[in-house]
Amino acid sequence: MDGQAAVTLTGVTKKFGEEVTAVDDVDLEIRDGEFFSLLGPSGCGKTTTLRMIAGLEFPTDGSVQIFGEEMGLRPPNKRPVNTVFQSYALFPHMNVEQNVGFGLRMQKVEPSEIARRVAEAIDLVRLSGMEKRAPNALSGGQQQRVALARALVNRPKVLLLDEPLGALDLKLRQTMQLELKDIQHEVGITFVYVTHDQEEALTMSDRIAVMNEGKLAQVGMPEEIYGSPVSLFVAGFVGDMFFLPGEVAEAGAVRLAGGQIVRAKTSSSPGTAVTLTLRPEMIHLYASSSELPPDRNTLDGTIARKIFYGDSMFYEVDVGVVGSFDVRVENAPSMRRWEVGDSVVIDFHPESATALAE
Amino acid sequence: MTLNQGAAARPWVDRILAINGWLVFAFLYLPILVVIVFSFSASPNVGIWGGFSLHWYDRMFGNEQLMNALRNSLWVAAWSTVISTVLGTAAALAIDRYRRWLGRGVFDAVLYLPVIIPDVTMAVMLLMWFTQVNITLGRLSIILAHIAFNISFVAIVVRARLANMDPAMEEAAADLYASRWQAFRRITLPLIMPGVLGGGLLALTLSLDDVVITSLVQGPGSATLPVYVFGLIKRSVTPEINAVSTLMLAASIILVLASLAFQRRGERSG
Amino acid sequence: MTILDEREGSRETAVNPKLERRARRRDAWRGFFHAAPAFLYLTLFFTLPLIIVFVFSFASRGRTGRPLLEAWNIDSWTRLFEPLVRTIAVRSFWLAVLNTALCLLVGYPFAYWIATRRKQATRNILLVAVLIPFWSNFLVRTYAWRMLLDSDGYITQFGEMTGLWGRLLFTVPAVFLGLLYGYLPFMVLPLYAAIERLDWSLVEAGRDLYASGAAAFRRITLPLSRPGIIAGSILVFIPSLGAYVTPDILGGAKTTLLGNYIVTQFGAARNWPFGSSISGAILIVMLAVTVFYFRSGGRTL
Repeated sequence: MDGQAAVTLTGVTKKFGEEVTAVDDVDLEIRDGEFFSLLGPSGCGKTTTLRMIAGLEFPTDGSVQIFGEEMGLRPPNKRPVNTVFQSYALFPHMNVEQNVGFGLRMQKVEPSEIARRVAEAIDLVRLSGMEKRAPNALSGGQQQRVALARALVNRPKVLLLDEPLGALDLKLRQTMQLELKDIQHEVGITFVYVTHDQEEALTMSDRIAVMNEGKLAQVGMPEEIYGSPVSLFVAGFVGDMFFLPGEVAEAGAVRLAGGQIVRAKTSSSPGTAVTLTLRPEMIHLYASSSELPPDRNTLDGTIARKIFYGDSMFYEVDVGVVGSFDVRVENAPSMRRWEVGDSVVIDFHPESATALAE
Repeated sequence: MTLNQGAAARPWVDRILAINGWLVFAFLYLPILVVIVFSFSASPNVGIWGGFSLHWYDRMFGNEQLMNALRNSLWVAAWSTVISTVLGTAAALAIDRYRRWLGRGVFDAVLYLPVIIPDVTMAVMLLMWFTQVNITLGRLSIILAHIAFNISFVAIVVRARLANMDPAMEEAAADLYASRWQAFRRITLPLIMPGVLGGGLLALTLSLDDVVITSLVQGPGSATLPVYVFGLIKRSVTPEINAVSTLMLAASIILVLASLAFQRRGERSG
Repeated sequence: MTILDEREGSRETAVNPKLERRARRRDAWRGFFHAAPAFLYLTLFFTLPLIIVFVFSFASRGRTGRPLLEAWNIDSWTRLFEPLVRTIAVRSFWLAVLNTALCLLVGYPFAYWIATRRKQATRNILLVAVLIPFWSNFLVRTYAWRMLLDSDGYITQFGEMTGLWGRLLFTVPAVFLGLLYGYLPFMVLPLYAAIERLDWSLVEAGRDLYASGAAAFRRITLPLSRPGIIAGSILVFIPSLGAYVTPDILGGAKTTLLGNYIVTQFGAARNWPFGSSISGAILIVMLAVTVFYFRSGGRTL
């Protein structure tokens, strides 16, 4: 990662008709060599953004640059990028080898060179032996690999992937995630990856841009996005989160419903209505607050429900007007067991709670 | 694939449906079979079996007027099929692949009209127009008329095929450095080929079958086979007509089977 | 297009608000050029002839029957209300309606039967068996009945022997039989397509919700196959209304239908303006029917 910009979007806006604004004034810089994810719910404009980089759509306004070069109205076949389509879009009338070699043939690369590079690409995605198969005779995962090889064989400066794992089942998806990451390391080119799956984005990406309603909600490394979401949308979309309504009491303290004051990270001025966000894994249960150091936040509650999960126990803790918490506790021998009706204390560190304004 | 339980009818309902079904098939096929059988009858009286004979086929091939009509038919069908297939395919692409252009709505409507307009009105319309703009009635006017109704049929068939094609195919081709022409030549055309061939076969069949329009826009000596046969039927019924009819039926059946084969191939290639 | 400085990429220089409009205009031209040959052709050999029908219907009749493009009048349109024309029109209309109704009555159970066969292979074979008469030469299929109904044919002899019917050829029943035979496949195919792609779990759900077999059919299957019913009806009604070959071969002087009557105006009767006004009237009816079809939610024929 040498920090040079691979893709630069400046004020990019895309309108469909007069009413629909799919992408709204997006500024984004994707660095050379990074695995960059565009994450967001369906309809947030992430795919449209990708298609504008590929040249499959043209922005209504703004500029798309690839390695400093203005793309303008340049058609897809004249851009140094390749795409792995969501539907794979493998040509059904060509076999695996012909599919993979298509781009090189279009670029009039020498036949011997084509043969060598196609074999290399097929080997890279571990499909050797399937060269003569028709795409329809392959499994979903294999088709996905062909699509990947077909794009990579052209040695694009940037590889664009549009929800490439969306059609695969969970297990295969997890294997492919690792494999994609390995391949990216091996070829060392910039990946721009569109997904609606936050877990996928967190595990694979160097950096993530979270999008919502056509706008960038937050751009940052996975740890930043997960640990310090800048808005309620990002907080809710990425990972599990508890939301507790309240208002800022003073700097670094939030008054929850019911009047109890807890310490939390906050940047809003006193009196502002905020929502306190809390990751489930940051919460621990204790019998009483005397078991804890004095600088912790605590809430008193009652066990309302418990469910056995095998490796863990699941407790629903009722904390009156503040709300209820679903807490998961691993079933290690040292862990304490609770019964329905037990009084407990919920503990969380002030650093793990962030108060966000609406 | 099997159907769900919902499709299953009670046994007695199913029996009535089956009886109706076989009766309809009998109704559809028996008359055609009778025509074919009597084309091999030696008797000059249609409807009375006079023993097996190929006499009428002999007569048919010796009938110079009839052979001339056959030549006209093939000539007209070939030209009108080729031209309407090219124009109809381009029209289907224009409508399906390009969403906004001036006149698209009008074109879309005009493209459907020749399909639903009755033959007779199409025939008199073209007759008046050819006369008005001084196009001599003959093989040329027949070809022009056939193209006019065939474009629409080809466009509809090709459009159905295009609608079933993943638009990402063309995008993938463009993404893989294919120019517009290369993408069309290497990807779009092979993928819609079953539709293009199917549309072409439909055009060929319609052209070979047309009686009404051709009989109004024909000129001296340009009668096609169906028009010539139509004249014969109106004069008298002879077993020679049965022989020609059998020939025409055979051509139709070959064309259906060919079009089904193309469709089959199309389904396999996605 | 403005050439932009590659290094700068600053907002002011890079933004190009006309970008998309240019792209769209370029696509619009491409679409237009693809359509242009067919568009031009259909304008020349379909739209203009269509217009000329209406123009000529207001012209006066020349000595050879050709229209004289002077002395414009509405005589040809008022002639549509003459008793003879009305008789022919009413006869054509009722034959077309009756034929459509009977095609539907016979065709629906037939299509239903084929579409509900369990094995795909069975359905395909039966479908091909319908396609063959559908594609077969219409003239030949009409001729078959001309031959079957001939005065010394078996059907006539059987009718005369049993006293059930006399000579059928050149009568209205013969024309009707010919129309039914000719257009039945046009009804069956759209019906089959509609019934075959029906979601049968909906019918199951209906049965589960206490509908009897008949009620499920009436409340679920029938409404869901409506597009097929409408498409099939149009495909039968319009050509039946303009039928020419069938009445010409199987009918006689007393069975003239609109189609024959129009052609007569361009032949023996030598009255092109009158032929135009009848054609114009049929076109108007046809357009009304088609508009009704698209309004009622149909999409493909």
